[in-house]
Amino acid sequence: MTMHVDLLLVSIATPLAVALAIFAGLPKRYSVKLAYLGFGVPAAIALWLWSQFPSDPGDTYAFLSSYPLGLELLGINLKLGLNGISLPLFVMSGVIGFAAGLYAIQSGAERLKIYLALLLVMQAGLMGVFASVDVFFFYFFHELALIPTFIMVGIWGGRDRSYAAMKLTIYLTVGAMLSLLGLILIYYQSGVESFDLISLRQEAIRIPLSAAAQKYGFGLLLFGFGILVSLWPFHTWAPLGYGAAPSSAAMLHAGVLKKFGLYGLIQVALPLLPVGASHWSGVLTVLALGNILVVGVITLAQRDLKQVVGYGSVMHMGYAFLGIASLSIIGAGGVVLMMVAHGLSVALLFLLSTCVHHRTETFDLTEMGGLAQKTPVLAAFFVAATMASIGLPGFANFWGELTIFIAVWKLSPWVAAGAVAGVVITAIYALRAAAQVFFGSPTEAFSRVLARTTPVDLRWSEKIPALILLSLLLFVGFWPRSLSTPINSALQAIYPALKVLPLEIVRK
Amino acid sequence: MAPTQLALLVLLAPLASAAVIALFLRRHGGLASMLSVLAAAVVAGAGLVLVFGGQRFNASMPWLQMGSFTLSLGFKFDDLAALMLSVVGVVGLAVHVFSLGYMHDDGARGRYFGGLSIFMFSMLGIVLADNLLMIFVFWELVGFSSYLLINHYHEKQSAADASKKAFIVNRVGDFGFLLGILWCYWSLGTVNLSEIAVAAEGGKVIAAGIPLLLFCGAIGKSAQMPLHVWLPDAMEGPTPVSALIHAATMVAAGIYMLCRIEPLFAAAPQALTAVLWIGTVTAVYAAFCAIVQSDIKKVLAYSTLSQLGYMVAAFGLGALTIDHSHGDGVVHSVTFAAGAGAAMFHLTTHAFFKALLFLGSGAVIHACHHEQDIFRMGGLKKLPITFITFTLGVLAIIGTPGLAGFFSKDAILYLAFANNKAVFGLLAFTAVLTAFYMIRMWKLVFLGTPRSENASHAHEGGISLLAPLIVLAVLAVVGGYTGTYGRLAGSFADLIPVAHGSDHTVILVTSIVVLLVGAGAAWVFYTPAPKDALATRVPGAFAGLTLVKESFDGIYGYYVAKVQQRLAMLLNFVEQIILSGLVIRGVAGLVGLVGMGARALHVGSLHVYVYWFLLGVALFWGFAAGVF
Repeated sequence: MTMHVDLLLVSIATPLAVALAIFAGLPKRYSVKLAYLGFGVPAAIALWLWSQFPSDPGDTYAFLSSYPLGLELLGINLKLGLNGISLPLFVMSGVIGFAAGLYAIQSGAERLKIYLALLLVMQAGLMGVFASVDVFFFYFFHELALIPTFIMVGIWGGRDRSYAAMKLTIYLTVGAMLSLLGLILIYYQSGVESFDLISLRQEAIRIPLSAAAQKYGFGLLLFGFGILVSLWPFHTWAPLGYGAAPSSAAMLHAGVLKKFGLYGLIQVALPLLPVGASHWSGVLTVLALGNILVVGVITLAQRDLKQVVGYGSVMHMGYAFLGIASLSIIGAGGVVLMMVAHGLSVALLFLLSTCVHHRTETFDLTEMGGLAQKTPVLAAFFVAATMASIGLPGFANFWGELTIFIAVWKLSPWVAAGAVAGVVITAIYALRAAAQVFFGSPTEAFSRVLARTTPVDLRWSEKIPALILLSLLLFVGFWPRSLSTPINSALQAIYPALKVLPLEIVRK
Repeated sequence: MAPTQLALLVLLAPLASAAVIALFLRRHGGLASMLSVLAAAVVAGAGLVLVFGGQRFNASMPWLQMGSFTLSLGFKFDDLAALMLSVVGVVGLAVHVFSLGYMHDDGARGRYFGGLSIFMFSMLGIVLADNLLMIFVFWELVGFSSYLLINHYHEKQSAADASKKAFIVNRVGDFGFLLGILWCYWSLGTVNLSEIAVAAEGGKVIAAGIPLLLFCGAIGKSAQMPLHVWLPDAMEGPTPVSALIHAATMVAAGIYMLCRIEPLFAAAPQALTAVLWIGTVTAVYAAFCAIVQSDIKKVLAYSTLSQLGYMVAAFGLGALTIDHSHGDGVVHSVTFAAGAGAAMFHLTTHAFFKALLFLGSGAVIHACHHEQDIFRMGGLKKLPITFITFTLGVLAIIGTPGLAGFFSKDAILYLAFANNKAVFGLLAFTAVLTAFYMIRMWKLVFLGTPRSENASHAHEGGISLLAPLIVLAVLAVVGGYTGTYGRLAGSFADLIPVAHGSDHTVILVTSIVVLLVGAGAAWVFYTPAPKDALATRVPGAFAGLTLVKESFDGIYGYYVAKVQQRLAMLLNFVEQIILSGLVIRGVAGLVGLVGMGARALHVGSLHVYVYWFLLGVALFWGFAAGVF
């Protein structure tokens, strides 16, 4: 195991080092070559560690390593490791980062060097978020990844980019501030005055936090993290932001960074604040249904491809929140599966939407049609990504939704009915969008575009990132055990020990 | 090979074929079609070895575990699965071979055959599955392959719309299906079919809602009212697809699934009443619609709907109790799941003769250069093999004594006669209509003289088109004799209700009378002409039936355009204006008006937003937490 010890640090340091080198003025041709390394190394490490992960880790962290930074007196330590909950996200982060990076390198964006450097900083932050055992660094790495997002939207963004960047900044800053308050509250109330998640958990098993602290702490974390994950009705930044963001940034943010909040709720908030969680479970259920049903119906009204993907992504977060509200291993495990699946599929959809845009010169669905006749491979990929996002079995998304539905039925059959109704809504808007882009005959507007240029089918530079994302979706879809085993092992060890229980048991 | 491995081979051969085609053979239509046919042949061959080898087994392995929930990937291979496997294997191979000829000149042959292979994989998954969730997984996948294949001619707007409609309507049914599975899981603690049967037969109380919700899945997949609207539109797909997916196998999966969970219905018989009436109404309704169709495939599509209604109604008729006297004066009462037996029997014979009819219509369409209007055909008896096999199919479906449809239809009529006289009357009436619209179509297509250029130049297709027709025609003739099924027949035949004594006479007379009335009326009424005789001679009836047919699409169209889309626009408006406009952007302005100071009016500076936003969140949170 010793040989793995520093790999987590390497996975964070490599993209960061490459970014610094580029900032330091590395010539462009070396920058691009090094960028391959910066995106490739974390992905390779993530997949390697997945294969080396113990089959039944329980509540222990694998590949645990600690790097003293002189902050020990404050209870802060750069402590890295992976447990069954963080491993799937770490893998997802590496893979999506690699795909987004490959796409960005080939994209020929203006000021490519800076763009790549920012993306690499983001990638380093993302790997750090999921590798951190220390809550302080978990938060720190999130901020590290967030700042490049704002810059990338503001500079390389599309339509409405300054308004979108400002709104994104406000919302995400507020969300981050609220969650920071919650984390600080845990830090003081836990009695260990440490950010080390392992000691926080051990202490909480011995003496749980007071009920009042849990209530307020969970409230802060729920709304703080909730805003970051676009909990209804604090979601309006998301479709706008994704609509404006350049594609690689949207892939990384919607795919990976957004999962920070959900991950925090499952890894930190639920185990440490189970009483607070059960207090808020009812409110969370209602808001989550808002995500699924209200935002779901709103998605039906969208005419812009990126907005459909953006709103659809917000809608799916409702399932994740419901899984958390169910306060159960099945539900929380389902959320972890769903985070991975949603991350991959939404990144794929943003990637492919950009590919569509390059060929149709618009995102407006009413000005497209019949693209499949010119680009059958792109159509096939897009239909596959659509099917993944609507939870077709065979793709990872199905397992996340299914396990969440099972957990939610126990919460309330009526809520489950509302959630399952969302599956119908998703099918409607997703298939409608796919059909409007690819099938039938070209609209008048698109015919004019076709008269000017003949769209080429998916290039290798687009196909390879898409294939990477699709392969992992299918792999987990056909072999869910590859992720559910570590997730289940960790949750089985952590949740019962900390009395994360279904609602009715806590209330009675 | 051990039977489990053989079953795995059956399941995975088409998946492998689909994967190879998707990855490497997209542009190599010839190779793709060979590979796909090979996979279908492996399925049929290995499947029949399994079926007639006589071994029945269960096998499973863990697939996913989360908390107390475990899901296994498993096979339940009993006589029921064996019967379904033989149907899927034989019809599947016939359709694959037929497609070799029918799709030979199609530019997207690779995609087509890849789709067929995915379909075979998914359908076999349903057949072999040992638990409800696994059925659901493959249930969704057949839906997906159906979507792909209906959309084969995707440049046609109608095909794109039809595929979307099929998928979404099925999802509506699956909404209930999935909820039923969830309920079943939490109520019985399992979704395994054998364990469900043990629990239900062991006297555990079953809420009627569970089988009813599960039945919703069948309403979608087997296109029962009110979710039948997707099936006629699905005829946009290539004709062999209609034969395989939308007539013989996938749409029958709903009936198969019902038979799988028969113990749940036996434990909650109230649910059967709903099943019975939905099936009966669908049977009658669709038969009426079939009368006014002019597209050869649409006639067959409505006929399929009607026959599926027959099967669902048969299942809904439930168990049958018959008295056996043993000659010594002692009478034994025996109750058995006759509904499931009759439904599966009809499913099997229907698969043969309906696949035959669809492939026959494909041969006709192929011969007439893609002409599908029966009023522009005529005189096609000059295609001898197509004519003879198609005629056998027609005779089988209308219940000519001695052919397959006769036996299975009589089993259902007898069961209805014993259990519910009203349903008996309606089903017998449906049989009259069936004979009527089938003879109408048959006469218009094959008799008289050609009424269009295409029909006059029609000529018989090649061997790959004709061989499947001949095989299926043989099965449409012999499929009614339980002897055909060899080792299967033992347990299978026991469940089929067979009339004896005076009941036998009543049923026989009924079925011959309805056949003669329906067929005779059509024979007299319709003459091979370019116009529909009903439309010219009784325009009121024609218009009425057309209206009945279109009423559902009209209502759904209104709902989608006027209710659903308007709600979406309204919520979107609220979101844009109120949520992101006023509350978030303008809350500063609003609050400023009530005296919080002019500074707050400086909309546009970042930190003001942040403060007001924080205040909003705090208020919301306090409200939610019950502080106020």
